[in-house]
Amino acid sequence: MNASRRDTQRILAWIGFGLIIFVTLFPVYWVVRTSFSSPKEIYVQTSNVFPAGFTVNNFKRVLGMFSSEEAVAQGGTANGIDFANALRNSLIVSTLLVVGQTLFSAMAAYAFARLRFWGRDQVFFLYLTAMMIPGVITLIPNFVLVRDLKLLDTFLGIVAPGFLMTPFTVFFLRQFFLGINHELEEAARLDGASIPMIFWQVVVPLSVPALSTLAILQFIGSWNDYLWPFLVGKDESVRVLTVALAIFRQQTPQGAPDWGGLMAGTTLSLIPTLFIFLLFGRRAVNAIQFTGFR
Amino acid sequence: MRSRINALALALFVVTSMLLAACGGAAAPAAEPTAAPAAEEPTAAPAAEEPAAPVTEGVTIRYGLWDGNQQPAYEACAAKFQEANPGITVKVEQAGWGDYWNGVQTGMVSGTAPDVFTNHLAKYPEFAAKEQLVDLQPFIERDGVDTKQYLPGLADLWGRDGKTYGLPKDWDTIAVVYNQDMLDKAGVTVEELNNAEWNAQDGGSFGQIIKKLTLDANGKNALDADFDKTNVVQYGFIPGGGGGAYGQTQWSHWAVSNGFKFNDGLYATKYYYDDPKLAETIQWYANLNLVDGVAPTLADIKSLGANALFTGAKGALTTDGSWMIGSYVKDSTFKVGFARLPKGPEGRKSMFNGLADSIWVGSQHQEESWQWLKFASSPECENIVGSYGVVFPAIQSGVDAALAAYEAKGVDVSAFTLQATEANGTFLFPVTDYASEIGPIMDAIMDSIMLGEKSAVDGLKEGNDQVNALFQ
Amino acid sequence: MTTRSIPRIAARREAAIAWLFILPSLIGFLAFFAIPSFRGLIMSFTNWDLFRPAKFIGLANYIKLFGDKDFLHALRVTVYYVLLNIPLQTVLALGLAVMMDRFTKSTLVRGILVLPWLLPNIVVALIWLWLLDPTMGFLNQIIMGLGFERQPFLGSVSQAMPTIAGINIWRHAGYTAILLYAGLQTIPKDVYEAAAIDGANEQQMFFGITLPLLRPVLVFVLVTTIIGSFQIFDTISMTTKGGPVDATRVIYWYIYEYAFVRFKMGYATTLAVALFTILITVTIIQMRYFKADTSDLD
Repeated sequence: MNASRRDTQRILAWIGFGLIIFVTLFPVYWVVRTSFSSPKEIYVQTSNVFPAGFTVNNFKRVLGMFSSEEAVAQGGTANGIDFANALRNSLIVSTLLVVGQTLFSAMAAYAFARLRFWGRDQVFFLYLTAMMIPGVITLIPNFVLVRDLKLLDTFLGIVAPGFLMTPFTVFFLRQFFLGINHELEEAARLDGASIPMIFWQVVVPLSVPALSTLAILQFIGSWNDYLWPFLVGKDESVRVLTVALAIFRQQTPQGAPDWGGLMAGTTLSLIPTLFIFLLFGRRAVNAIQFTGFR
Repeated sequence: MRSRINALALALFVVTSMLLAACGGAAAPAAEPTAAPAAEEPTAAPAAEEPAAPVTEGVTIRYGLWDGNQQPAYEACAAKFQEANPGITVKVEQAGWGDYWNGVQTGMVSGTAPDVFTNHLAKYPEFAAKEQLVDLQPFIERDGVDTKQYLPGLADLWGRDGKTYGLPKDWDTIAVVYNQDMLDKAGVTVEELNNAEWNAQDGGSFGQIIKKLTLDANGKNALDADFDKTNVVQYGFIPGGGGGAYGQTQWSHWAVSNGFKFNDGLYATKYYYDDPKLAETIQWYANLNLVDGVAPTLADIKSLGANALFTGAKGALTTDGSWMIGSYVKDSTFKVGFARLPKGPEGRKSMFNGLADSIWVGSQHQEESWQWLKFASSPECENIVGSYGVVFPAIQSGVDAALAAYEAKGVDVSAFTLQATEANGTFLFPVTDYASEIGPIMDAIMDSIMLGEKSAVDGLKEGNDQVNALFQ
Repeated sequence: MTTRSIPRIAARREAAIAWLFILPSLIGFLAFFAIPSFRGLIMSFTNWDLFRPAKFIGLANYIKLFGDKDFLHALRVTVYYVLLNIPLQTVLALGLAVMMDRFTKSTLVRGILVLPWLLPNIVVALIWLWLLDPTMGFLNQIIMGLGFERQPFLGSVSQAMPTIAGINIWRHAGYTAILLYAGLQTIPKDVYEAAAIDGANEQQMFFGITLPLLRPVLVFVLVTTIIGSFQIFDTISMTTKGGPVDATRVIYWYIYEYAFVRFKMGYATTLAVALFTILITVTIIQMRYFKADTSDLD
């Protein structure tokens, strides 16, 4: 009796899972479906579950493989999205940010966790208070600062605010370093290794899981960021994917967006994320679980 | 305990030092080098001495515009210009309306705005007030540009207190766009449409035509007693949306033909949005959907755009500007035509608007920018633009080229040109200060009326108070 | 003498190296966190438009703030959004987490659930903008297929905000569920077994054991999601842009409009300071109320 109740529960639970998985995945499928539909058919066959008037022209248009006149003639917008360029820019920005932030935060975190010096707790306390400051308060002054430094529309300007640290990264890594065993470091010290050597040759290799966890989260965060790169990096030469998509969406303010093209751009932008997902999915899930216990 | 006190002391120290640094910081960027004195230079160089432009090498001029449909035309102009000026490269940059203005403004404060950009009458007064535009008057006088070559009235819109901020490149009027197939099926002739009359009480004969062209799922039109307005398959009229502060393609023609006026002319300091004539017009306009069911909802219009609703054969009539002719013809799978605006109590009235190019004061290449601007507003370029058949250029020969291009495409655009040339057929775009504040206020008001959240009388009274408070 | 000075030299060297280690992050901290915070505060006492020099205008911005009906409206709309978003999202996530804990440890399931969170807000907004389109959206095709009238969703004053909240629940519920699921893993199984022996039913176990023991994680999740949801921006900038009328003009959008559309940096920073004050207050109240740092496990 008990067992049969278990079974019904299990069946109900999996129906629930199935429903939620469907609700999660279907919108993504619908984007892909629309991206392969011809712009004119999109408006007619609104409920066809398969691509309406199958075509790859949306992708070609978005990738700038048609001239602006041809694009307009197809019912698209004159300017493509220059997807390859935006993808490259997103990669540059996210990589720069992850490398800088992880490196410099780890150095600071190590000093806070292991080294003794005057002012350590005070500086760390200041960093901690900065965790309470929401982005909205620094957004405008940082924009002004980047402008004054003449870093608008440069990669440096886009990564500047997080390149050297974020309070959370330092805090997170300090907690991690506090938790790892002293013994290896002590042994290295007795062998006459200097502090930088210990850091690079003992601590960093030991911390690869934590560092990569953090790096994945930072990468996703930076990849998804919109407002800041939109404010400081609109120029085509540094325009990242999210900004490029937003600008593309704006192309026809009076009329309907070029949905075929827009969804083609969206589909293309899903590819890198899915790639990360397949490569690091397990790790990303673990990373999220990990942050729950900071 | 001790460490906490230490931390406090340190925090205090850091705070004070930062405060000092920040004080310096806030004041420092005030003197942005954007306001280069270059604007004065042309006046210093006497016109008589050296009329020829200095030879330039490897200069790139960035040129901004928002209408993607015009981009190919201006790229063709740029190619021509570069042939004649091998030292100058023109880079055409296009962005959609919202991003375009955001980019121009952000660019101005950050030193990255385009050298030359397409300007709008609702925008330029504020840029001028913030000293962001180069006064073209000295250049015009030096090079002897004849501003009389432009259609009457266009050049005057771009001047204030003896300064000139732009040279006209095109103009536009409004007309009725119709779906020929739907007219034929309902037995409405183009002649009927061209001779229709309109009033704000019942829509006049134009209102009747709209009803005749609206069909429900049972094939009954809106004149039928059994018409089911909850199940409309073909709308008689597709409004262009709320229209915001000016209703250029949406309601300005109705309102002005009903005796409304926006204000008392160039740089007026008072708007008359609380005019009952406007209120009754807007209520009629909103009721097309809210009461009569002969027009789609604002949500539908916003999601698709009136244009796409029309080209998607969801409705028979709409009103739009002459710059849209090309896209209607291209996007429709049926025959499209353009009819005269109906005759209101005060006659047929269309807004007469035009764009112009301006030079940003922060441009490092103002002389080269001027050369390009002068070319873009010259008969040579305007003839090229005209030949693309996307807009009516500001010079008559360009208009002729455009007419020829439309004729070649088999499109009759006389509804627009007749409106422009008719006596008292047009009124000018209302140019005043505070446009960037007026816009959001009236956008919200008009949308709330269209959605039936407010009555036109109340909403417009409220909007009028807010708008006029800006001028206090 | 020498025996004492060696450690001292070593200590001094250690301090020097430590400061070198900290230096880059300190520069970043001062330049992009500390100084901007104070600069923001100072800017809120000016009427700077970025074009012309800033002028100190004392408390004028703050006086304006208290009479600003639009600010109040923005605040109200934001709180409305938070109330639509957080409870449903948290309950949904909690249910999912418990279900996963009970029925599957599959990484694939967790992976699929977290997928929406991996997508940029901008992309998520685009996806739903298309699915929820009033005329051509697929959801409306289904609704009409079932014989109902199609809905305007983002195009209507009353539906826009619930729709935005729904979109963000779609993006965040799975992510939140995984955080909570991880929390559930820390609860020792023998507690449940002991309770089961005592004859507790499932409801009693959930409210008597799961919820109390999950509290630290739950509070962490609530604090971060509430702060995040007060700062909703991307989705709105991509879909409604504060409309229809002003139905979704949330505080962050309002600040953005003042700062980067109207270029009134002074008043924009005043608004930011106000939002900051509100967020801090909300956080402190939450921390106090939930006693975040104590778990009932002790």
